Amino acid sequence: MKGYLGKVLKVNLTTGEIADEAIPDNVYENLLSGIGLGAYYLYKNIPADADPLGPDNILGFTSGMLVGTGSLVTGRWMAVCKSPLTGGWGDANCGGDFAPAIKACGYDAIFFRGISPEPVFLQVDDQGARLCDASHLWGKDAIETEDILRKECRVKLAPKVAAIGPAGEKKSLISGIVNDGGRIAARSGVGAVMGSKLLKAVVLAGKQRTKIHDPAGMKAYSKEVGAKFKQASMPGFLKGFAFPFLGWATSKVKSASATDGLMSVMMNKTYGTIAVNTMGLPNGDSPVKNWGGSVKDFPMRKYRKLNPDRILDRKIENYSCYSCTIACGDTCDISDLGDGKVQHAHKPEYENCCSLGTNLLINDLDAIFLMSESLNRAGMDSISAGTTLAYAIECFENGVLTEEDTGGLQLRWGDADAASELLEMMIQREGIGDLLADGVKVAAEKIGKGSESFAIHCGGQEPGMHDPKLDPMLGVHFSADPTPGRHTIGAGIYYNMMNLWKEVTWAPKVTKYPKSQEYIPSDEEALKSVALSCYKMLNDACGGCFFALIAGLDHWNLFRMLNDTTGWGLSGDEYMAIGRRIQTLRQMFSVKHGVEPKDAIMTGRVMGEPPLRTGNLKGITLPIEEMVSLHWKHFGWNEKTGLPEQEIVADLEERALVQ
Amino acid sequence: MRVKIYASGYCSFDHIDDEGFMTLTEGASVKDVLKKLGIPMVLRRLPLVAVNYEQVKVGTELKDGDVVSLLGPLSGG
Repeated sequence: MKGYLGKVLKVNLTTGEIADEAIPDNVYENLLSGIGLGAYYLYKNIPADADPLGPDNILGFTSGMLVGTGSLVTGRWMAVCKSPLTGGWGDANCGGDFAPAIKACGYDAIFFRGISPEPVFLQVDDQGARLCDASHLWGKDAIETEDILRKECRVKLAPKVAAIGPAGEKKSLISGIVNDGGRIAARSGVGAVMGSKLLKAVVLAGKQRTKIHDPAGMKAYSKEVGAKFKQASMPGFLKGFAFPFLGWATSKVKSASATDGLMSVMMNKTYGTIAVNTMGLPNGDSPVKNWGGSVKDFPMRKYRKLNPDRILDRKIENYSCYSCTIACGDTCDISDLGDGKVQHAHKPEYENCCSLGTNLLINDLDAIFLMSESLNRAGMDSISAGTTLAYAIECFENGVLTEEDTGGLQLRWGDADAASELLEMMIQREGIGDLLADGVKVAAEKIGKGSESFAIHCGGQEPGMHDPKLDPMLGVHFSADPTPGRHTIGAGIYYNMMNLWKEVTWAPKVTKYPKSQEYIPSDEEALKSVALSCYKMLNDACGGCFFALIAGLDHWNLFRMLNDTTGWGLSGDEYMAIGRRIQTLRQMFSVKHGVEPKDAIMTGRVMGEPPLRTGNLKGITLPIEEMVSLHWKHFGWNEKTGLPEQEIVADLEERALVQ
Repeated sequence: MRVKIYASGYCSFDHIDDEGFMTLTEGASVKDVLKKLGIPMVLRRLPLVAVNYEQVKVGTELKDGDVVSLLGPLSGG
């Protein structure tokens, strides 16, 4: 057992029973750990008719094969469950400090089923695992809960804590699970599942180390990676004011080519994701006005206030997740904002700045800071929450919602005060906020009156804040991933950074090609999107970070690190086959639970139906159904239905991964 | 000598082979690479280029096997 512990902790919250369960070696050999282990366990153990918020659903906290192995930028954990938001496979990925804590307790994952009669938290330390009363924590926000539990459960070292806030407690379908002072596993409604089980937190304090095959080899490689990442620095002249120009310049480029992924490390080290705040307007990457507008609606005189340097003005210190040397995060001083009760906060990510800013035509950074912090404390997904605010504003603008519905609140584009107030109502499920707290799909089903066209989602989940009309492969992954709406699977720009073709024989090689090629459904583009899906699954099975992944094989080689860890000596092709198995198992999970994959194919304004009338992406409509169909075909799934073909299923059966 | 080039879509690829390498005469500098990539003269002085993953000045002399990277389109979130 190199890189994994070979067992999971299973907790029945209904009965209070806690037990270890051994996992066969063949599961790790075929699916690795992390999301692969989660897919195996959930497919096997959740009955098809399980209510996502009922006792039969299972909520898993998984670590990863490379977590705690001495590798770099491998500190991410996943929450997995049947999603109450989509009805199919649900997962959410998160950084912070929780991933190594799972393995340090001697487990590759912890799985919860049942519903506790009273609020509880799970504590695991050298005295074993036990459920503890959480009645004094119920109602508290996630960060406050973490602070309390770190003190209450401290023995020699402070434990690591993952918790839900009020949004999860109130079973908001867009709620997540929070750790390390505001890092959130936000997607798929995982917080609602935790809340439905009356599980307030998981508190871990273990000391077990993970053994690996070649510690010296891993140490040498980590030294090499660390040195490269250290060297990668932003040119001094490249400040936030220049980013709109970079965005404009990329909008004019008619060709794409293989690029050096280390350049992305450079950007992420200095700014993190907020570098895209102003870069994404001129080229159309950032959605504007609920995906219906463009930079013409939010011109530079307005969006320049989202300049990332203005955010860094509040920086106190750099923040990194476990084992990360990129350190894209920052801790900021917000003591002068709001009621002044909160002193420090994580820097808002690009997704927050866009979903709570650009997409609502809001350029008030102070308001964005406060809304982001509210969401982190409540444990609510900023992408989904911001998209729901945009939906509500568009409903109000079109008379679908009135002041009577909103309790006197006038919802207008660009009105930060109204957006903030409505967001608090969503978090507390007060008034119209109760209706909106479950995301746009549920809201549109309840409100109706033609508002369905304002509800931006795929398969029930609101998509990430990147427009596929700029990078069509994003649209394929929005539509075809078993967790639809996911923006961190792949895109053409990422493929060109990763150099996968160097070690994966079937991955199309890139030198230079016309950008227009990305807009035409083809086997080559489909193979690229399949390659990214497989590689991302490997990454999530390892606990790797997407920002290291896009640095590319030249600078952060997952295959090399896996071989140092396991000693299996597998090739890139063999590891990609594991990624393919994981993705197929996730798809099979969704199908088992009644999801029709074709229903998640995103249509409407995100795909250019109708096309935008202004901006860099005006006039573009993506042939998304053909693109997704080819993606499915190259996965070995039926190109019309998205169902895995019999031979693919039989392969999983032969490997004893499904029954 | 041959140097590995990570160019970007705004560059000319006329002097880059299928393996992503550019052949240069001994003593060539970053400036020569930028010229062959078709970067406009006014932009050649901007430090948007790294050699062996380290920022350098455009006058830096190259040697066989160096890796020259230009800033490409960036995205993330």
